[in-house]
Amino acid sequence: MSTTRTDLTTAAGAKAPRRRRRRSNFTKKDRAVLFGLVGLPTVLHVLFVWVPAILTVFLSFTFWDGIGGVKNIHWAGFQNYHQIFTLYDAFPKALRNNALWLGFFAFVPTPLGILLAYFIDKNLKGSKFYQTAFYLPMVLSLAVTGIVWDYVFRTNGLVNSLLGNTNSETAISWFGDPHKNIWVVLGIASWRHIGYVMLLYLAGMKAVDPSLHEAAGIDGASDWYTFRRVVFPSLRPVNVIIIVVTVIDSLRAFDLVFIINRGRNGLELLGVLVYENIFGESSRIGWGAALATMLFLMSIIPIMVYLYQTFRADD
Amino acid sequence: MSDQNLQSDVSRRSVLKGAAAGAGVVAAGGFLAAGAGAGAASAAGKAVSLGSNQSDPAARKSDAAWVAAATKAGFDVKLNTVDHNTFQNQINSYLQGTPDDVFTWFAGYRMQFFASKGLATDISDVWSKIGKNFTKGYKTASTGLDGKQYFVPTTWYPWAVMYRKSVFKAAGVDPSSIITWADFIAACKVFKSKGLTPIALGDKGGWEAMGTFDLVNMRTNGYKFHVDLMGGRASWGDARVQKTFKNWESMFPYQNTNTLDLEWSDAAQLVLQKKAAMQVMGAFHASIYTDAADLADLALFPFPEINKANRRDAVDAPIDGYMLSKGASKNLANAKALATFIASTDYANAVLSVAPTALFANSNMPASDNAFVRQQVDLVKSSKYIAQFLDRDTRPDFAGPIVGPAIQSFLKNPGDKAKIATNLSKQWDALPPA
Repeated sequence: MSTTRTDLTTAAGAKAPRRRRRRSNFTKKDRAVLFGLVGLPTVLHVLFVWVPAILTVFLSFTFWDGIGGVKNIHWAGFQNYHQIFTLYDAFPKALRNNALWLGFFAFVPTPLGILLAYFIDKNLKGSKFYQTAFYLPMVLSLAVTGIVWDYVFRTNGLVNSLLGNTNSETAISWFGDPHKNIWVVLGIASWRHIGYVMLLYLAGMKAVDPSLHEAAGIDGASDWYTFRRVVFPSLRPVNVIIIVVTVIDSLRAFDLVFIINRGRNGLELLGVLVYENIFGESSRIGWGAALATMLFLMSIIPIMVYLYQTFRADD
Repeated sequence: MSDQNLQSDVSRRSVLKGAAAGAGVVAAGGFLAAGAGAGAASAAGKAVSLGSNQSDPAARKSDAAWVAAATKAGFDVKLNTVDHNTFQNQINSYLQGTPDDVFTWFAGYRMQFFASKGLATDISDVWSKIGKNFTKGYKTASTGLDGKQYFVPTTWYPWAVMYRKSVFKAAGVDPSSIITWADFIAACKVFKSKGLTPIALGDKGGWEAMGTFDLVNMRTNGYKFHVDLMGGRASWGDARVQKTFKNWESMFPYQNTNTLDLEWSDAAQLVLQKKAAMQVMGAFHASIYTDAADLADLALFPFPEINKANRRDAVDAPIDGYMLSKGASKNLANAKALATFIASTDYANAVLSVAPTALFANSNMPASDNAFVRQQVDLVKSSKYIAQFLDRDTRPDFAGPIVGPAIQSFLKNPGDKAKIATNLSKQWDALPPA
């Protein structure tokens, strides 16, 4: 984006182009097209993404119940943040669960997805079928996923039936036990995430130059060795996407736990806390905005640092 | 889980109706609803728009019935039914946007909150006409913090101990003999020895157990303390709250252990299936009884006495009704006329024709011949004080997001009650000024 913008300004009448460029100027039509394709989306993006984001940060320093206009917004300083850290029971739990989610996603479904992609790429018999089967969960919304898995894990659901105890008193309470439910939920979320990772890698691997494979084969490298040392490193752009997707998906996790028990009793997540405080009859906009601001910083800072390093290395 | 989970913060009354609608309501949980309007209303009718959260089939039927009656009485009602959950969650923006003239709501602090924010229209002049239809308690329940009336009560239901007569008979327990806490615990012991769960409780949604908290609290510390606690004039850190928790804890050995895994209706099922003996619930407990014979077997008794000084003099009996939005000022005469109609027996009879177990605030309605309904009326008549419900009596930003999870953690770890109460009082103090 930024390069495009420098292009625009320099082209549109800068006197001394600092860099050598092939096109010296744009026609009127070009400019109109550029404005339509770049300028307009940028304006909309700033208006509907950055302006609300900055306002959210502002609101996080205020008290507001969402009723009435600006005159009802009272300055709170750091009080919301202070109280969230000192009083809000659910906050440390949510923080822990989000971290757990991130760690789990990084170490379980992501490697499994890569492994599946590796096998399916070998054109095994029926690989098209596996590919579809593994990707299928991704097609369902997490809300639907939540309902489907609820039937599997509820007290009188499939798993407990197989275990032979559906007595509501004594059966294993998969969603009700705060020590178990987060793991069940992580399993469900992974079930979905694996297919996504697999598909991204598969797409990347299809694009790898087959001559690399052949050269490695001629040199006597095994399939697995070729994958590890030749194919995988050439998939760096895919890895960037996977890491970004994993971080974002882990931090914005919401729908699954919301469907299961509104994100309580062991399933607290930052996204749910934001929702619970801002929406509903009970609006604590400032409090919710403070949570949202922290969530925003947590997701954007690591990603920005990572992307910056990656693309700087490319230059 | 299906629909009930999606509606877990919905008011009890609607959940009951949602439950009656059974599974598959997920799809119906969509946004808008059809305007089951007044049909071909006469152009001369008094036009009023009506926002309703009565989104499930049974409730829609009762809306349709009274709207039809209103049409006959010369109104042109534009009914706008919204999914219950959505209605509740968007009430803030709804009332600040372009709300309907008249809308469904609840008595108690929940009503006073919006009235004090200037989002409701004062209908004191309507009350000077309809006041004679209601007892004084209802007028108090309809009055805002500024002493003006903002609410027209329609229906209500009490909270009590629900049980099946046949289960008590088989165990040889006489429900009318359960007066004191000792009687109650003794009965629990009998049921336990017979292999039944004495008390069924589901608190997955976080609001269900508030009913038990309210009753134990009012029995232990009296109605006035309940009111003070809800209003912030007494602290959650008060030793009296600890007493309440302690008394409540003495019920735990007789309760199912998986309370956070069950919805209220799952727990009610245990009573229906005769696996559990009792449930402390609103009278909407009855809504899961689809068989007439089962329904005839259902009965209730007042929550037992804990502290002699308070006897059994208070009960939670939430009142539902209607309010006029701020937007009604553009159509004031018609909106107020509809409010007057809602306070009439014409309204109540129309609803009664499709909902025979409904209980009306209007004192001109004849007594019901249904035994379970009569028990509810007697219960409230014999109570000196009527409370609404924890989440209707206190600040909305405190009840749902703070008290709900706190009670859930108390159910999980009753030993933490001191810590939980201290945290509640700190969180109350940290609330922004209302």
